[in-house]
Amino acid sequence: MSKLPSTQLARAGVVGSTAMKLGVGKIKTKVKRPFLSESASQRSEEQREDQEAELLFKAITQLRGTAVKLAQMLGMETEVLPERVRQELSKSYHQVPPLNRVLVRKVIQDELGSTPEDLFKEFDSTALAAASLGQVHRALTWENLDVAVKVQYPGIHVTIDSDMKLLGTLVGGGSKFLSKERRPNEEILRKSLSEIAARLSEETDYINEAENTRWFNTKLDIQGVETPAVLDEFCSKRVIVTEYMSGVHLDEWLRTNPTQEERNRAAQHIYDVFFQSAINLKRVHADPNPGNYLFKDNGDIALIDYGCVKVLGERFVRHIPTLLYAFYKGEYEEILNAYEQLGMKIRRDAQEDFDKVLRPFGEWLSLPFQRETFDFKTNNRYTVNGRNLIHEMAHLGSFESVEEDFIFFDRTIYGLFKIFEQLEAEVNFVDHWKHLWHQSGILDDASGVGSE
Amino acid sequence: MKISHKVKAQTRLRLLEAAVDVITEKGFEKASMREIAKRADVADATIYNYFSTKEKLLYGYCAHVQTLVLEELKAIDDFHEYSLRDQLHQLVEMEIRMWLPAREFLQVVFAQTYAAPSVGHELLAETKEHLKSMVVELIDASIEAGEMPEQPYQDLLPALFWDYQTAILAYWLKDTSDNFANTTKLVDQSTEIIAQLLLGGVIGKTLDMFSFLFRTHVLQHLNTLDNLMMQPELVAAKRRFMEGAE
Repeated sequence: MSKLPSTQLARAGVVGSTAMKLGVGKIKTKVKRPFLSESASQRSEEQREDQEAELLFKAITQLRGTAVKLAQMLGMETEVLPERVRQELSKSYHQVPPLNRVLVRKVIQDELGSTPEDLFKEFDSTALAAASLGQVHRALTWENLDVAVKVQYPGIHVTIDSDMKLLGTLVGGGSKFLSKERRPNEEILRKSLSEIAARLSEETDYINEAENTRWFNTKLDIQGVETPAVLDEFCSKRVIVTEYMSGVHLDEWLRTNPTQEERNRAAQHIYDVFFQSAINLKRVHADPNPGNYLFKDNGDIALIDYGCVKVLGERFVRHIPTLLYAFYKGEYEEILNAYEQLGMKIRRDAQEDFDKVLRPFGEWLSLPFQRETFDFKTNNRYTVNGRNLIHEMAHLGSFESVEEDFIFFDRTIYGLFKIFEQLEAEVNFVDHWKHLWHQSGILDDASGVGSE
Repeated sequence: MKISHKVKAQTRLRLLEAAVDVITEKGFEKASMREIAKRADVADATIYNYFSTKEKLLYGYCAHVQTLVLEELKAIDDFHEYSLRDQLHQLVEMEIRMWLPAREFLQVVFAQTYAAPSVGHELLAETKEHLKSMVVELIDASIEAGEMPEQPYQDLLPALFWDYQTAILAYWLKDTSDNFANTTKLVDQSTEIIAQLLLGGVIGKTLDMFSFLFRTHVLQHLNTLDNLMMQPELVAAKRRFMEGAE
């Protein structure tokens, strides 16, 4: 499993944030400076990050859908954004200003042909939670079933196209401000953006989401992990109604001081879901933002929001264990072979790159597999430490193309690791893979793995 | 035979709906009273008991839409619990919803009104009154609930809202976005602004300021003009002119 593609996304993040800074913050500071004493100017510089974050958040909440989603996608995996900005962004996971009751009513009436009060016995006009492209209301059906009604921001599908075009321009323009060696690979950047655009427009189609929800509800079978059932008769392109899931969001759950055991349990559930869906079901819930999980008292979880689901290719799923094993063993010829099997074009004449970049990257990557359980409490800077390595990987000239599946696979894992760090949990990674390596004949002697 | 009030109202409505169909199909000029009567299943001469001209049918339907809007708003159980902003938003959305089946007809209404503004203005008076009375009611309720302050020139607000509503409908008629998404967004954002203006009493305060400027500066000049007019020679000249001397 390579970290390469999140690197490409990380780059998009660098560029995006640079452009944003130039566009908002820098200009503001420049305008302010002439009227300030030197020390005040210093303070102003320090405040700039704060102001930027607030401005950004305000702008994002104004734009609603697309921008929130993009901010989530970019903010999630880029340590590059200033801490304060990321804090503000993380608010947007489930705190976007709500649609008022008039619009909720309008969307439901337009989509389902009746008003909420006709369709449901009870309908709470105050939103339960704000999702990225919509918001969720709690309701009671006439059959007394507790349900969650997700309503899409009206017209969001219309603005997504223009927003993505705007972002393309912003990113393209922003990259001009970067020095040549930091400038992103155009092809990879374009691919990342178009992949995000495709996923976004898929996400506006709730029929697709209903289908994914149904799919996971029937296929995913893990003790302690709940998935909601879909109420088909209430679903349309812009409205989706599912069984109501109990539980609280991550931040709120952590405030209840769950025990270490409960936190481990929750994290392990999350990883098990990822592994089972990616490897066995070949479909990942590729939106690892904490808002998509609900946590229960005992560390059980519920998986909600299936808007961003990526179907993984046969070849990708077949060869990813080989790549990971090669990284685990630190055999670089094998790593290159595995990358090639995965469809990545690599120049093999750049040995120096590999010694300088690929080796430390591989060591970092395989760290969680070197022991039975990996403790994110003692390794609470794992993703931060990987940041530079990821960057260097991205600037490695030897990769000429990147397999699309990597983008979402890696983005998901990186996002999950960030959640594990927040949970300060101990997670077992190696057993799943060990089993798989054994099963597929990559590994004959399983005893050598995970026991160092 | 005496025709009941109810039957009369039904016939009137049938005529209005027939007018929408015929005018939408044929255009205003080519639509005939005879065809509208026929479509409504009403005798040729009887239509004139209800509407003396085609224009009255055209604008009669506009007034009818307002009564539909009012009925629909009343049908929302907790409408009285909505904030002023949500109520105004719902009002505008309801206007659009009620106009939706007759959107092409509304296009004709706009075209006709621009073609003959004075006639249109006169015949739209009833529609305008309907809308204004709804807005007055919303504003009064909001003031009574202490949500919105009483403000000078309060009577002007419903008229301003009428202009706003007209502009929104005009925008909607030109809106080609999927499901009129752009209009939805515009209404959402503009009603927010309007509510803020009303709740902060901004419109009243602004008009107050203009009134002050007007009184202090413009009227003073008028006084100068007045004095000028009062110059004996000018007065004499004026009298001579008025009396047709010389």
